[in-house]
Amino acid sequence: MAAKTKDASFDEQEFSTFYVGGALCGINILNIQEINKHFDITQVPQSADYINGILNLRGRIVTIIDLSKKLGLSAVAKTKDNRNIIVNSEDEHIGLLVDSISDVVSTTLDALEPAPSNIGGVKGKFFQGVLKTEQKLIGILDINEVLKE
Amino acid sequence: MFEDDETLQMYIEESLDHLTDIESDLLTIEEGGENIDFDLVNNVFRAAHSVKGGAGFMGLTTIKDLAHSLENVLGLIRNNELTPDSKKISVLLKGFDKLESLLRNIETSNDQDISDHVEALEKVTKSSLPEDEQDIVNELVDIALKDGRVFPAISLFEIERYKGEGKNLFLVEYDLINDIQRKDKNPIEVLNSLQKTGTIIDSRIDFESVGLLSEGAVPNRIPFQVLFASIIEYDMTETLFDIDKQYIHPISDEMISSSITDSGAVPETMPSLEQTSVQPVAPPAPPVPPKVETAAATTPQKQEAVKPAAAAQPVAQKPKKVKAQAKEQPSKIEKDIHVGQKPQTSLRVNVGLLDTLMNLAGELVLSRNQLLQGINSSNEKATELSSQRIDMITSELQEAIMRTRMQPIANILNKFTRVVRDLSQQLGKSIDLVIEGKEVELDKTILESINDPLTHLVRNSVDHGVELPAEREQAGKKPTGTITLKAFHDAGQVNIVISDDGKGLHPEKIAASAIDKGLITEQQVAEMSSKNKMELIFLPGFSTAEEVTDVSGRGVGMDVVTTNIETLGGLIELDSTAGQGTDIQIKLPLTLAIIPSQITSVGKERYAVPQVNLNELLRIPAAQVKEKIEMVGDAAVVRLRGELLPLINLAEILDIERTYWDPVKKKERADRRSNVADRRSKQHMISDSGYVIQDTDTEEDKSKRLKKDRRYRSASALNIAVVSAGAFKYGLVVDNLHDSEEIVVKPVGRHLKKCAAYAGATIMGDGKVALILDISNLAQIAELSAISEASQMAKSAEDELEAGKDKAALLTFRNDESEYLAAPLNLVERIERIKTTDIEQIGDRKVIQYRGGALPLYEISQVADFNTLPKREQQEVIVFKVKERELGLMVTPPVDALEVNLELDESTLRQKSITGSMIINDHTTLLVDIFELVKELNPEWFAKEAEIKAEMSEDGEKIILFAEDSAFFRNQVKAFMLEDGFKVIEAEDGLIAWELLKERVDEIDIVVTDLEMPNMDGFELTSKIKTDPLYNHLKVIALTSLASEAHIEQGKTVGIDEYEIKLDREKLMKIVRQHLNLK
Repeated sequence: MAAKTKDASFDEQEFSTFYVGGALCGINILNIQEINKHFDITQVPQSADYINGILNLRGRIVTIIDLSKKLGLSAVAKTKDNRNIIVNSEDEHIGLLVDSISDVVSTTLDALEPAPSNIGGVKGKFFQGVLKTEQKLIGILDINEVLKE
Repeated sequence: MFEDDETLQMYIEESLDHLTDIESDLLTIEEGGENIDFDLVNNVFRAAHSVKGGAGFMGLTTIKDLAHSLENVLGLIRNNELTPDSKKISVLLKGFDKLESLLRNIETSNDQDISDHVEALEKVTKSSLPEDEQDIVNELVDIALKDGRVFPAISLFEIERYKGEGKNLFLVEYDLINDIQRKDKNPIEVLNSLQKTGTIIDSRIDFESVGLLSEGAVPNRIPFQVLFASIIEYDMTETLFDIDKQYIHPISDEMISSSITDSGAVPETMPSLEQTSVQPVAPPAPPVPPKVETAAATTPQKQEAVKPAAAAQPVAQKPKKVKAQAKEQPSKIEKDIHVGQKPQTSLRVNVGLLDTLMNLAGELVLSRNQLLQGINSSNEKATELSSQRIDMITSELQEAIMRTRMQPIANILNKFTRVVRDLSQQLGKSIDLVIEGKEVELDKTILESINDPLTHLVRNSVDHGVELPAEREQAGKKPTGTITLKAFHDAGQVNIVISDDGKGLHPEKIAASAIDKGLITEQQVAEMSSKNKMELIFLPGFSTAEEVTDVSGRGVGMDVVTTNIETLGGLIELDSTAGQGTDIQIKLPLTLAIIPSQITSVGKERYAVPQVNLNELLRIPAAQVKEKIEMVGDAAVVRLRGELLPLINLAEILDIERTYWDPVKKKERADRRSNVADRRSKQHMISDSGYVIQDTDTEEDKSKRLKKDRRYRSASALNIAVVSAGAFKYGLVVDNLHDSEEIVVKPVGRHLKKCAAYAGATIMGDGKVALILDISNLAQIAELSAISEASQMAKSAEDELEAGKDKAALLTFRNDESEYLAAPLNLVERIERIKTTDIEQIGDRKVIQYRGGALPLYEISQVADFNTLPKREQQEVIVFKVKERELGLMVTPPVDALEVNLELDESTLRQKSITGSMIINDHTTLLVDIFELVKELNPEWFAKEAEIKAEMSEDGEKIILFAEDSAFFRNQVKAFMLEDGFKVIEAEDGLIAWELLKERVDEIDIVVTDLEMPNMDGFELTSKIKTDPLYNHLKVIALTSLASEAHIEQGKTVGIDEYEIKLDREKLMKIVRQHLNLK
């Protein structure tokens, strides 16, 4: 499966989608380490406001970022659907707290359309592009931009 | 074929290993001068030699040439033909430095220019030879084998040397395929084993013979030639080399002929293993004439070398192909080697230690099995047992793994011999370096990171610390200075002390310079101690040298050193005496990964305070918060043993929402106090918190208060961790103090790097994460320096205020529930709790077995009019020490120590053994006179005093002049002076005492004075007495309630003979008698 994805990376990619605020966003599934609902988070006073805290993920300290806040929306509301999406970035695991998880969609890169300046109140710079499916619009996140300090 | 990189890596590591001790060996050789230590020289020689041996094989010509030149010089020293002196050693040292740098940058080594070094070395070599032999140093010869092949470009000088030593020369031809690879050997190993029986002059791979290809032939041999010198005879060699005799060629003189290639051409004739490894192997073929290379170079053949088809190409083109390949390869080599080039990627570990690790891993597996079994069968006992085992094994495993990372500090300390030598020569100074504690071990990471700070400090000592020989002589010191580097373990830390006997630091000069540079203001300097002033050198942008030199001091330095050491969790301390030298002490944790820490908590989160930073834990009971916490400006301070300690509220500076345990509602509540000093009493606190207080709550609260509920008290007490980091010392106010734990430091993610308050994070036993506090950064965040200044000012102001009052430390206790008593704290040895059943009644006395003896027990009702003690199961006993003997006074708790202003009523409630009464905490408290009590109970203990008293009344009375402003103390002290048979002249202050002294000097035998008095204090009085020849025969004993260091120091300078604590009757009288030469 992994091999297949890799071989096909030029024409077909998979995106894991999730809700942040009202917006449906997606991340390339290859960036994702795991998705969990582990919320025993230690708060870090004096840290940036979008930082939810830190978490022990099997012996590693993982910073949890409130994705909604990071994107300039109000904080993720606490519900039972909350999930941490653990992504791999610059040799570090970072958790993105999202409202809820949705489907995995397959698409080709040329189906991506350039992002408008604003998607659901979120600045366009955070998006790589927009994917139009039959029912909905998925904003594909530029993970490097999102994780910029 | 061969795993090239691996072989090369192995060679580099081994070579570097050979080179590690060279420096110190050479320096020792230099020191020895004409008395050559041949073992050492041999060591160095062998090192150079091993490097050279491998280099030839690897095709590292530059390294080979340099090593060869070094070896020549060392060979001469070894043969006693050359006397090592400082100049020659310098050439050698530089040569070895270059060699090391070549090895570290192996991929570019062949392009480096080493001609300077080689020339310098050759000059040294030549200088020791007779003129007619000098030429052969540079001369290269070829060795022609009987079959016509040639081993080119060997140093004739070397050959001559070995022949001179009576050794036989052989050319041994191994086959890389059959003799080495198929036998599962490694070329380096082969070379190493050869070294044991002789000396390798050169080695190379004979590509000419490989390269001669004829069609259809199967490759079967790659000759690997080693030119070997040994005392072993030819007939023995077969067994020694483990190869067929036909490949061992003894070398005779006629085989040696002058070389046609010069050394510059060597790279082309010596293709390396790297380059051949991908070659298809050709069958042996007729030898190539050496000249073929020139011809080949002109053949316009394209670079098809790597393709098998190349095997069919004409013979003459082979060398060219090799060359072409050499050009192709570097990018690959560079990339591969780059990985191995990072400092120390491999580590030497004791095999015993590895075995231990293996055993522990085995045990861990066994224990896990037991644990699983226990869990599966729900056997609690088994589970518990195995978890204990796992606990034990884990600790052992941790320790063992840590040990694998431990490296002796000698690795870095040793190099300073060289640093100091070179620097001091450069600066014209004469300095001995003494290194102690080389065997101390430190974690590898720490060891690597302290290298730079240490180098800086040592350079500083050489440059700024130790003076020029002439200056030193002027100052009356030995012309040779000494710098000592000492490493030792202390309290779980590694200490490194760098001390020099140089000119030391001048606090005033430093301060002036800091003001000049605008780093601090004059006002700030005025408030600094000289230690503080010296610590200014740690400020960024400071450099003490009057001129900035090449060696050290560019204005960046000490601050970087401090930062580096603090990042390692270490501390740096400075101690210097102007004119005598400087000591810089660095304290480092043994390892970075696991540190002992105090766990604290604020709100819901736990925070770890590294034990290195922790001085003590302090708990201020709710009732005392108001009294102990003072406000200085906006800052809260606490008085701790006479010092003001600034407080930082962790919740406040981190903006954490605080909670406290509400004992009434049994839950955590948000605490809205904004300041620690706001806390008055528990009752107030609840109302302050803004909650509607129901009447029932308050009542419950009051009833609890009366019952002295433990939890109630603990919840409202203030918990302070007293911490220090560098110059900062402060109290960190937290909600709760938990256990001390060993924590594993984990790095935090990049988004949190900006939060300076944390040094990292750790995972607690319950799996949650706790942050580790950075004590030094916290102080900066809280802008603590401002606080400490303010508190210093406040302190001096308050000290003046306090001076007029009499303070005394008392121990309060009760006799029965309603009888409150107090006794001077300084007479108390201990407080014990005993079981009433353990008390033995002997006659009319009570004793208890205590520390191997019998401790007599009394109660106050035995001598004075008090109720008898209520009967209880346990009994608190205050142990006093009087006349070198201990006795216990049974009391009723609570027993508490406090400092009070003595306002004693000496008449109303006076009775036997009771000095008087005062109000303490709303209770009328009676002050017990322990001496009177003991005297009443044990008059025989005072027999000696009685004797002296009798003696004195015969010999005439001794008269004490006693100055004391407090009526209470005056009466107290006077009373016991009188009791011991002295006569006392009282004075209410220093001035009166001085007047009295002038009038009655002939009568007075000794002066006892209080220190803090109005009009004239004890210091002034003493200084008047001691500077006047009329009175200076008199001894002065000072009485003080606060024996602070500063006071004692001040007192000594004015001439006070003794210090005694007020109310320590026994000691005071002993001292008085001593000074009057009474028994």
